[in-house]
Amino acid sequence: MRAVIGLEIHVHMLSKSKLFCSCPTDYEGKEPNTLVCPICLGFPGSKPKVNKKVIENAILAARALNCKINPEIFFSRKSYFYPDMAKNYQISQYEIPLAENGYLEISSKKIRIKRIHIEEDPAKLIHVGGDITTSQYVLIDYNRAGIPLLEIVTEPDFSNTKEVREFLFKLSSILAHLEIFNPSKEASLRVDANISLDGGARTEIKNITGFANVQKALDYEIVRQANLIRLGQKVERETRHFDEERRVTVSLRKKEFEEDYGYIFDPDLTKIEITQKWIKSISMPELPDARVKRLIKKYGIPAEQANIIVYTDKALADFFENCAKIYADRKKLARWIVTDLLKCLNWNKITIRESKVKPKDFVQLLKMIDRKVISEALAKEIIKEYVPTGKSPAKIVKERKLVMIKDRRILEKIVKEILEKNKKAVADYRAGKEKALEFLVGQVLMKMEKRVDPKIVREIIKSLI
Amino acid sequence: MIDLQKILEKAKAIQKEYSPFVTLPEKLEKPRSRGRLSGIMISVKDNICTKGLESTAGSQILRGYVPPFDATCIEKVKAEGGIILGKTAMDEFGFGSFCTNSFVIPKNPFDKERVCGGSSGGAGCITQLADFPHIAIAESTGGSISCPAAFCGVVGLTPTYGRVSRWGLIDYANSLDKIGVMAKNVRDAALLLSVIAGYDERDSTSLNVPQEDFTKYCKENFKMRVAVPKEYFTGIDEKIEKSVWQAIKKMESEGMRYQEISLPHTSYALPSYYLIAMAEASTNLAKFCGIRYGFQPELKGNFDEYFSEVRGKAFGQEAKRRIILGTYARMAGFRDAYYLKALKVRTKVIEDFKRVFKNFDVIVAPTMPILPPRFDEIAKLEPIEVYMMDILTVAPNLAGIPMISLPCGFVGKLPVGLHIMADHLQERNAIQAAYTYEAIK
Repeated sequence: MRAVIGLEIHVHMLSKSKLFCSCPTDYEGKEPNTLVCPICLGFPGSKPKVNKKVIENAILAARALNCKINPEIFFSRKSYFYPDMAKNYQISQYEIPLAENGYLEISSKKIRIKRIHIEEDPAKLIHVGGDITTSQYVLIDYNRAGIPLLEIVTEPDFSNTKEVREFLFKLSSILAHLEIFNPSKEASLRVDANISLDGGARTEIKNITGFANVQKALDYEIVRQANLIRLGQKVERETRHFDEERRVTVSLRKKEFEEDYGYIFDPDLTKIEITQKWIKSISMPELPDARVKRLIKKYGIPAEQANIIVYTDKALADFFENCAKIYADRKKLARWIVTDLLKCLNWNKITIRESKVKPKDFVQLLKMIDRKVISEALAKEIIKEYVPTGKSPAKIVKERKLVMIKDRRILEKIVKEILEKNKKAVADYRAGKEKALEFLVGQVLMKMEKRVDPKIVREIIKSLI
Repeated sequence: MIDLQKILEKAKAIQKEYSPFVTLPEKLEKPRSRGRLSGIMISVKDNICTKGLESTAGSQILRGYVPPFDATCIEKVKAEGGIILGKTAMDEFGFGSFCTNSFVIPKNPFDKERVCGGSSGGAGCITQLADFPHIAIAESTGGSISCPAAFCGVVGLTPTYGRVSRWGLIDYANSLDKIGVMAKNVRDAALLLSVIAGYDERDSTSLNVPQEDFTKYCKENFKMRVAVPKEYFTGIDEKIEKSVWQAIKKMESEGMRYQEISLPHTSYALPSYYLIAMAEASTNLAKFCGIRYGFQPELKGNFDEYFSEVRGKAFGQEAKRRIILGTYARMAGFRDAYYLKALKVRTKVIEDFKRVFKNFDVIVAPTMPILPPRFDEIAKLEPIEVYMMDILTVAPNLAGIPMISLPCGFVGKLPVGLHIMADHLQERNAIQAAYTYEAIK
């Protein structure tokens, strides 16, 4: 069964201050309700004031997503009562959004972008003693209220979750390259997904946080809807919620018709003219596709690795280029980044931004391999300690006494011991089984905690058998 | 040295008899600086935020609300040495034409059985009754300065929309709200406007135009070109019509030429005004839900039930009516026919005025179609009949042009208001014409 999926993506835009007041936006870890003022608390008599820098950042996103930018934009009041709303209306855009009719290309097709607009984030609700459906009361933290959000609405152009994943991956990298989004904060990306299967009604899964959850929620929802249809039951038109713990979607409310938000133009804000002159004055940073091409050309690295480096995170590409300034073997550098470094980051569930990994240390590690102070295998061990702790590889080598053993006499002694213990393998090798040699090399490496060069070990074994 | 204690006692005595105030401070604060308003008491309409002094906008839902900041106009008054006298009575959030839709109802200075007019009724009342140096800060959305000025026999000056910052004004209808002044004479009104006007980056709709000293327009000028709109003389009290024509003739006799003209979209101004005002008001009032400030009953039920409890109990009848009508006007299916259509009519009304001001300096008309009514008379009126009272004031308010209402005589013991309107940012013309009439009358 073919799925039809459309997304509404809400991105927390990086900004020093909120969309309509001068309160700071770095709310994570802050005491609740400390980054607030009469404006973001919706106090009587206060008036919003547009943060022009946010508009400029949104213009960059619109250009990167090939949208038509409207020459005059307005803010509107979207009215509905909910405890997270300071004014019981949200200042958003309705009739004339910032930009329309764009697209983003993924490997299989173009995903059309219907509109991009700017709006304010509501406050954060903390559901005490349960989740949205079970808690007895909520606490409200207005620190988040008024943080600028970029809403990107796609046409229903996705037909499976793989496409959704690729799109979000690409979008995230573009926004990161524009420096208007921090992809390492899970909470800074929220998605509402509309999804239907052939022959069924459409459901909307609201407020899914982070990439990984979008895919999980959609995967679940596709199976759920497919099962209903297969059993001849009806898929209800409704709004659903993704329960991250249980990895299921649950019904929030039935949706028989579109909600009516009674939009009016926000009469506290005047229209904003977006002239070509203004647009041109905002310099456009290098976008990911261009960067991939440049990395291939400038550093001679394989396209596949360049893609991974750039699209994983702008910060990773920055890291690569910073290392490349002080390390000549770029191919080796790229290979180490896309394999071992990424593996270790993922294992520790952190991104390059949050990690303590520094170009100088990382290059030091590679140089130790080059100078044969350590083997590649040993380096793979060292990086496992380096990534989570940030302790310099040289220090790790020193502390753990991981220097290579190059003394041939010591090596021969150890090899002899191993051969003694593995007579069957020795016999196998003599009988022509090449694999047995690798087994013996492995045994030596294991015994020596990888502090030996496998090439030399292989030589010694051959000479002794 | 002025005796602030004595002035406060006088105000309390007036309060006892006429109730112009919602709040009087325990003690009048001595000003920290000296300036153009030194020695002058400034009363403030209760929908303008005063730091440390309860500001309710005439609504039970804001009882006990003490703003953490001063409105821009209050900052300016304080910087010029003005002394904040107290908060004046008004219709709840400005919703009314008689100043009777609230928990404090002021009485007309000329007849205690009659209303002061709305919504800035308290400001009109104290302006007439104060026997100490006093000027009022008031606010108009659809005529809330002109109406009480006419009914209380004082001068009411509503400036161009955007001339005075709305930062700190508790909104009724943001695209129409204008902070203005009420005074015993044109010069005092011009003085206070000179202080509170000016660009303010905290209000995006504030106009970035140079500061002006409006008192310098307080001089006679008999060369002004006066337009008299015929639509403003139909269906009004004959005695008022007569009184206003006498004023126009008096001006003519001193050399001012007048001509009758037409403002053809006048009859559409009223429905258009109420649609826009109510649509905006219904969103402005959404924030009052008992969570962050104001009236808070015992917390129970889910949030929908709690919001309904708070709003059901604390909003008055007229506030509820306007929330319902305003919400209806912006709902899908009605939005095009009502809210968006009203916005289009508004530009037609503005074009009417612009056309006239190409050839004239001011438009002169009666302010109100009736004399101040008795409390028992208005109790019988239907809402639509009450809304009709604004028929002469809504068009210039919808257009955002400046206007002055000033007394032009009495019918019996009741005052009549003369309305002088000028083009956008041409307060100088309205002030000069009003001053000239005041001098010759």
